Amino acid sequence: MAMLSSQPARSSLYVAPLTLQKSKTESYDNASDMSVASSDRYSQCEITPPTTPNGSQEDLGAQVDPAPVFHNFLRAFYPFDPGYAMSDATVTLPLNEGDVVLVHSIHTNGWADGTLLVSGARGWLPTNYCEAYDPEEMRNLLKALLNFWDLMRSTSINDREIFGSQEFMKGIIGGVRFLLERTHCLTRESAVVQRHDALRRSRKSLLSELSSLVKTAKRLQEAQKMVDPEEEINNIVDEMILKAFRIVTKGVRFLDTLQDDSRSQIPTVAVITAVMEEAYVPPTPPAESTAFDADHGAATDASSRVGENVNVAEPALSEPNQATQSLLATGKRLSSAYLSGTNTHRLSQATPLLVNRLSSTVSHRVSLAGPSPSSGLQNLISERVNSCHDIFLSHLGSFIGRLQLQSQSRPLLALAVKQSVTSGGQLLVVIDIVSARNPVSVEALNLSRAAMYDRIQNLMQTARDILSHNEPEMEGVIVPQDNDRLLGAATGCVKATGDCVAKTRWVIERIGDFEFEFDNGSIGFDIDLSALDLIAEGREGSNTFETASIAGSNASEAPTTTTTISAVSSAASRSKNLSIDKPLPEVPAITSPIEEMPEPHHSPPTSRPQSIVDDGASSMVSSVASLRHALPPLPRISTSIHPVDDYSPIEPSVSQESEFHSFRSDSMTTSSTGSGSGSASTYVSRDSELSIVSQTSTRATTPDITAGPKNQPSLSDISVAGSSTQTEVDDVESKLLEKTYAHELMFNNEGQIIGGSLAALIERLTSHESTPDAMFVSTFYLTFRLFCTPLKLAEALVDRFDYVGETPHVAAPVRLRTYNVFKGWLESHWRHDVDREALALIKNFAEFKLNPILPSAGKRLIELTDKFSSVNKSLVPRFGSIGKTPSPITPFKPTDTTPYPSPIITKSQINALASWKAGGSSPSILDFDELEIARQLTVKQMTLFCAIMPDELLGSKWTKGKGADSPNVKAMSSFTTSLSNLVADTILQFSEVKKRATVIKHWIKIANQCLGLQNYDALMAITCALTDTSIKRLKLTWDTVSFKRREMLRTLQSIIDFNGNYKVLRARLHTHVPSCLPFLGMFLTDLTFVDVGNPAIRTSDTGLTVINFDKHTRTAKSIGELQRFQIPYRLTELPDLQEWLAAQVERVREKDNAGTNAQVSHYRKSLLLEPRETQHLQTPNDANGVFSWMRGNSSGHGLPAQI
Amino acid sequence: MSSKFGYQSQYRREFNVVVLGAGGVGKSCLTAQFVHNEWVENYDPTIEDSYRAQINVDGREVVLEILDTAGTDQFVAMRDLYMKTGQGFLLVFSITSRDSLRELEMLREEIIRIKDDENVPIVIVGNKKDLEHQRTVDRAQAFAISQLWQAPYYESSARTRSNVDEVFVDLCRQMLRRRDDTNDDTRDDIYYQKAADPLAPKKKRKKTHTERHRRCVVL
Repeated sequence: MAMLSSQPARSSLYVAPLTLQKSKTESYDNASDMSVASSDRYSQCEITPPTTPNGSQEDLGAQVDPAPVFHNFLRAFYPFDPGYAMSDATVTLPLNEGDVVLVHSIHTNGWADGTLLVSGARGWLPTNYCEAYDPEEMRNLLKALLNFWDLMRSTSINDREIFGSQEFMKGIIGGVRFLLERTHCLTRESAVVQRHDALRRSRKSLLSELSSLVKTAKRLQEAQKMVDPEEEINNIVDEMILKAFRIVTKGVRFLDTLQDDSRSQIPTVAVITAVMEEAYVPPTPPAESTAFDADHGAATDASSRVGENVNVAEPALSEPNQATQSLLATGKRLSSAYLSGTNTHRLSQATPLLVNRLSSTVSHRVSLAGPSPSSGLQNLISERVNSCHDIFLSHLGSFIGRLQLQSQSRPLLALAVKQSVTSGGQLLVVIDIVSARNPVSVEALNLSRAAMYDRIQNLMQTARDILSHNEPEMEGVIVPQDNDRLLGAATGCVKATGDCVAKTRWVIERIGDFEFEFDNGSIGFDIDLSALDLIAEGREGSNTFETASIAGSNASEAPTTTTTISAVSSAASRSKNLSIDKPLPEVPAITSPIEEMPEPHHSPPTSRPQSIVDDGASSMVSSVASLRHALPPLPRISTSIHPVDDYSPIEPSVSQESEFHSFRSDSMTTSSTGSGSGSASTYVSRDSELSIVSQTSTRATTPDITAGPKNQPSLSDISVAGSSTQTEVDDVESKLLEKTYAHELMFNNEGQIIGGSLAALIERLTSHESTPDAMFVSTFYLTFRLFCTPLKLAEALVDRFDYVGETPHVAAPVRLRTYNVFKGWLESHWRHDVDREALALIKNFAEFKLNPILPSAGKRLIELTDKFSSVNKSLVPRFGSIGKTPSPITPFKPTDTTPYPSPIITKSQINALASWKAGGSSPSILDFDELEIARQLTVKQMTLFCAIMPDELLGSKWTKGKGADSPNVKAMSSFTTSLSNLVADTILQFSEVKKRATVIKHWIKIANQCLGLQNYDALMAITCALTDTSIKRLKLTWDTVSFKRREMLRTLQSIIDFNGNYKVLRARLHTHVPSCLPFLGMFLTDLTFVDVGNPAIRTSDTGLTVINFDKHTRTAKSIGELQRFQIPYRLTELPDLQEWLAAQVERVREKDNAGTNAQVSHYRKSLLLEPRETQHLQTPNDANGVFSWMRGNSSGHGLPAQI
Repeated sequence: MSSKFGYQSQYRREFNVVVLGAGGVGKSCLTAQFVHNEWVENYDPTIEDSYRAQINVDGREVVLEILDTAGTDQFVAMRDLYMKTGQGFLLVFSITSRDSLRELEMLREEIIRIKDDENVPIVIVGNKKDLEHQRTVDRAQAFAISQLWQAPYYESSARTRSNVDEVFVDLCRQMLRRRDDTNDDTRDDIYYQKAADPLAPKKKRKKTHTERHRRCVVL
């Protein structure tokens, strides 16, 4: 047979990589040597190889240029195979051409730490193999993925606020919507979609992936309600990240498809290539694939020549070469291939050229080789690959997790191995389906498939060796070395699988995603059967047929037939792949030198990983059956599930020697199935039971393994997706068609909104999925007048009310929330002076739009608007609620029942105040106790402070128009300034040094008491006054002040020091709880700089200009911090003392207002009291009389000094 | 140009610059533009080095701590404190407001009084030059005052970021020159010690007047 004759040549080709892995350093050196040698020989080829990617690993590190700009996403334009063995400390990712990578960081040497979207694997990759990926259509989706990633990775899992709502999903959905919108593919009916099948499929697959993510997100929400949700949530989050990756991958593919499609409209020059290619594309893939394979070398030769020519002549040629593609994998094995002899030299030499050319011609082939329009089935192969990969990885993950836990019991380990191998088999089956689909590129796939199979075998052997050969007394204990071996084997599986799946996806990408189809498969079916029959001969697996078919029929109790076709076709494809797989027979023989394997030579064509395939196939059937309840009896297909004998040599051999019941029982099931003695239905149910059990145990024993328990949900997901994809897709479609502005929102890493258009912000405010975050709502109410007008807000809300009508399933909650926004605005945030312009609109809305839909809400809103229009004034007190404190002055309800401290005031002091009130002489500040003065000042200031309204602090209002819009801010700061002036005034009123010193001391003590009361505003005012130049320069006076008091002042000063941006003060405020009176000025400065330092708008990555909501959030945060302290002190107010203090403050204020600058007059007075030692200061030649005040004119010095 | 940095290094040339001007002249914009890296999208004025900037002046790295009373203009008492700490002053007015120019006169007097030094480094800044059509202060007027005060005059626009760095660089040159002349390498930030101890010698007062290179910048 042709296929047999073709084997030897290939075996030589495939041996190399396998032997290579034994000694990696050697192969490394060899590879580079070889590449040098070969480039000499084929020097003519050097014209075309790409300059950037280097053939050998060595050069790579040195020559890569650092990427000047950081791109979040890269796309490989050239495949890259790390070539290192997997035990390397650093993980280097293999790249396939077209792979998109999420970049985390880029090292200066050009290596990037990235996550491969296609597999979710993270590792190092060379940036010179990649180009920035940021097509305009994808931008929103990519950005959304970035946010999603950040959110999922950075947020604490229990953060209900984020995950409690589905808001975080909106970005992704919005991104997909944007992509579809931009490509005019938003609806299924759109002309573009209708025209191109590949596009339609790609779109559908994208949507189903999205739907799957949405569902997972819902599960996350549910999981949160669980008692101990953490572990489950972790798993779901991981799953979601993978799904999000996949969505993007599909989006990329979709866009590629579209672009290729549009490119294909233009006639290509590559007629010759095309023709040549056609010649090698077999009309009936399975049958002729071998023939093709036999001609492989020739084809390569030809195509490589063509490739060269084309490359020179027409670089942008858009005709891919399937033969080339099939060689791609070979090319990746470049180094190993060299070792296998001169024959392959040419192959590998040619490959880079072709591969290079390919970069410009991705998957144009889709329309050519892609399957015919599907018959409405949605069981997409890519999904299957993904889910199988998921499952396999999760099993491996749980296995690795067990290993890392050490001292695991062997039965459990064995079970884990078993699971892993089984799920690996499932994956292999799916991969085979893919390769069957596209026999042309099967070559590439088979290589990695073989590698993967090899790894799985390896894992199995290792496990068997270790688990079964242990001494009985050692039972349950695995020695560390063995542990390491197992670990190595398992990691090997992960790597090989990642590679294989990546290639499978690559193939799928080229042939187009397809469903398991029946009609197409019928061609190859006969061939399959004959091939299978051939294989089956001499096998003892006939029983299996029955079993499997019984299993099928048993499972198909449910009469549904919708999935029949897919099941059939999947089996068909599988059987097809068996024949396709024949070219790869020697792999098992080489890679798994298992002595126990019976008759390894008996039927070479089938000695490939049948065991795995079979296991996978049967368990796939079972899982499909159990989950779908819709499996038709498939006797014919079951014939393909023959080679249980291949299976049993491995599995039973393990079980024979192992004493672990779970493992054994499982393999017993398998073998009994093989011999036909077991009941098929039992088999099915047992299997599923087992897997459930194992999952449970995984969960219980390895809480840190995130991948483990993922299996079950994703399996069910697939089946659901498979059986009801149409409805799902519809659901997603409706979600997409839902008008949304989600893409106009910008988030930071914490998931906070930092920007958005008005419509997007309002959408957020009225989200149907969750109650919006309180901080967001209060920020919005507080600051909306800064970024839009009341009228615009009302219009946008009405618009929201209207457009949500297009999506009926969410309309009700959204409309209610829209009403609530109006209500909240009118009830608590209405500022009639500015907001009244919107009143008519709101009233109109309430009457004609809201009322018909929500009558009671409409009525209430009409009431509210009526109230305002009739009174024409704000009825509602201007409570600027900011979440925490709805009103600035909260009625003080102390939980603390301790009595207020009793006032420190003597009879004589009371009398003095009384006589002052009666018109007598005023008492002096010295007459009162410093603590009581501090208390009364604090009470007074706190009253002013509590009166400050949040909106006075917006938009630097208090600095504009002499603070007319911020009366309370003005009152407060004016009091503080007056207090300063009062301090200076009381000191300077005395001509005697000692008296001045006494007043200074008194004020220092008062300031100290203020500190004790946490009144930083007064502390600031008094300390500033005491250190004012006018006071500071009174040398004689300060000499009289005790060192102790001066030290006290110095301490006080260090607290209010503004150096380091009020470092000390901020630190103190941070820890303080009310009652506390912060220094208002600090907040005012902060608010000013938030206002001027942050632009009003910001530009999103997609070039959209939106409101810089972050600025407003910062403003609101600062105001919120201020409001935190708007709580009155628990201090008794002494009216008489208050009155006297007010009178003193008023007195200095009047002086200040009279036009004389208080600072200047204080300075003059200071000069009078303690003249300069030397009349040194020169008077500048100021014609303007700048310093006239310094030269004489002391007439104004007769200042009242009655304190 | 300017960049934020940590507070680690010990040896450096460090100056306190006080930005003064009437409310509404855009002085805080000027400060924000200067200390705020353009590529930082979110400016947080509440962190320790929100107002610190490092610039290179004639090959010398200089660290500036900008003291801006923005928002607290009402707290006149604080101005004294700021001025005492300042080693260089930006007097900012708006070319659209004559009053804002007049206000500078008062501020300058206060600086000279508080610093007790009439040669204190000052730069006069006519801001909002992007609003040429609203100009009410002639260049000639501003130059006259510049001559009188012996302080360079710049016209800037915080909005278009023109001449923002220049005014700070000029001020730095003046401060560096003074420091070089006096070999005074200690930062005058222990003012409160002096306050508590008026006997402390006043260094600046007795200092010889060095020749100053004042100039006007034609824009």
